[in-house]
Amino acid sequence: MPSLREVQTAFRDVLLGGDAAPALDSIAGDGLAVAARLAIYRHHVGATLTDVLRATFPVVCRLVDERFFGYAADRFIAAFPPEGPCLHEYGERFPAFLASFPPCRALVYLPDVARLEWAMCRAEHADDADHLDPRALAGIEPSAWPRLRFALHPSITLLASPWPVDRIWRANQPGADPETLVDLDAGGVRLELRRRDDDVVFRALDRGAYALRRVLHEGRTLAAAADAALAEDRGFGLAAALSELFTDDSLVDVTHTTEENEPCTPCP
Amino acid sequence: MRSCDVGVRRLPAGAGIGLRAPHVAAIAARRPAIPWLEVHAENYMHGPALRDLLRLRADHDISVHGVGLSLGTDGPLDARHLERLARLVERLEPAAVSEHLSWSVAGGAYLNHLLPLPLTEEALTVVAGHVDQLQTRLRRRVLVENPSSYLRFTSSTMSEPEFLAELARRTGCALLCDVNNIHVSAHNLGGDAAAYLDALPADAIGEIHLAGHAANDADGLTVLIDDHGSRVADAVWRLYARALERFGPVPTLIEWDTNLPALDVLLEEAARAQALLECHAVAA
Repeated sequence: MPSLREVQTAFRDVLLGGDAAPALDSIAGDGLAVAARLAIYRHHVGATLTDVLRATFPVVCRLVDERFFGYAADRFIAAFPPEGPCLHEYGERFPAFLASFPPCRALVYLPDVARLEWAMCRAEHADDADHLDPRALAGIEPSAWPRLRFALHPSITLLASPWPVDRIWRANQPGADPETLVDLDAGGVRLELRRRDDDVVFRALDRGAYALRRVLHEGRTLAAAADAALAEDRGFGLAAALSELFTDDSLVDVTHTTEENEPCTPCP
Repeated sequence: MRSCDVGVRRLPAGAGIGLRAPHVAAIAARRPAIPWLEVHAENYMHGPALRDLLRLRADHDISVHGVGLSLGTDGPLDARHLERLARLVERLEPAAVSEHLSWSVAGGAYLNHLLPLPLTEEALTVVAGHVDQLQTRLRRRVLVENPSSYLRFTSSTMSEPEFLAELARRTGCALLCDVNNIHVSAHNLGGDAAAYLDALPADAIGEIHLAGHAANDADGLTVLIDDHGSRVADAVWRLYARALERFGPVPTLIEWDTNLPALDVLLEEAARAQALLECHAVAA
């Protein structure tokens, strides 16, 4: 008699598109082919997980059409099934999967549209967090400010793309003008996505503000973030950008490190 | 008997409904006289949804119904998921916490289905160990629900009611009797639904589930699909009446997941269950 583990491994393989192994010989037909009984489970797993992906990536689905999306989802589910039961966390690998999926190679912007939709899903389900009170900085010496590190709101994603994915997304919303044409050569975008109240929103940032926020988001110091912003835009208005981080509730925490952990030239 | 009831039946002895996201606003606004709401644990392990639920908790008792812990998997429970469940339970302080007699995880893949177990001593040892671990972590008794099945294993050495009764005896867990699942499984596997019900240990039954099912054709044979997508079938209402005769007025839930209708339809179904519950409360 196969062990429970052998039965479950064989069952899993069938649900993910494989053939039934001998470990499943102990399934009773009871008047119906065993394969037909297994197909009921397989159909449910495929259909419900495809629904999850379709709900998270509706614009990708619209861009490739339902039938192709179902095919891509089926291949994706077989290769990368969910790793846990909270299904709003399922699909992180789908953009990279699409990037390497030969049948959609011609849709060069598709993986970045998927990244945008994944970031929206993350923003929707991210934990709540109270924004940082500017008075938290009151006791810190200005000379220590360059070494401050900030935590951004957990719903925030910073996403850059060489394609106008924001315009592609808007043109594919329900009710959008079907005549809208998106010029793929119009240039890339740098986006910030987040949840505001209960709505997921995104907006385009200029090069400097994007660099500042991206470096802070990576957990690096304010000095490093300011350097990155000025490297992108020599005329970058640092004071106004810092003020905006507070006024738009982007920050949720600050840590004051006395050690400078940024990569730097070795001290003599 | 009475003291045992109190231990197993922590929910209000009335009819509740499964809380689904599209109904949250209507329930918050209308505050229907529903004594308790059941939520799928996995939908409330993150920020905004939980915030809404904490507000509803002021008016309704809550039951937390897990679908993802995979008590039947041969291997360790997902420690991260168990911790998330424990944190949710600490936060909500629900009247009941339940899971399923099934498995969903193998080789690190979560298969999004409540999958059937061979009903063997080996499986019983695995499930009982996981129920022990769950109850120890949550510091409370949990309920374990009978699944709906589309196949059975010839390697099984006991019936499902025997398996559940022994699980309850070994772990002290309570049982969640899904009457629709009994009907669906009996049809699909050629069993006797009434005999199944009669074989369950009445003292252990802490909650009942009712839901609709679909009838599909599979190679000329009708297979009942437990899709929670319609009103409770007449045959399931009849089986429910038998369950109440045998178990007394057990807190009962109306579940609806696919083709979700307006809240009023769920409230009508709950009112029908409530009327039957009250008949049996008087009779008892």
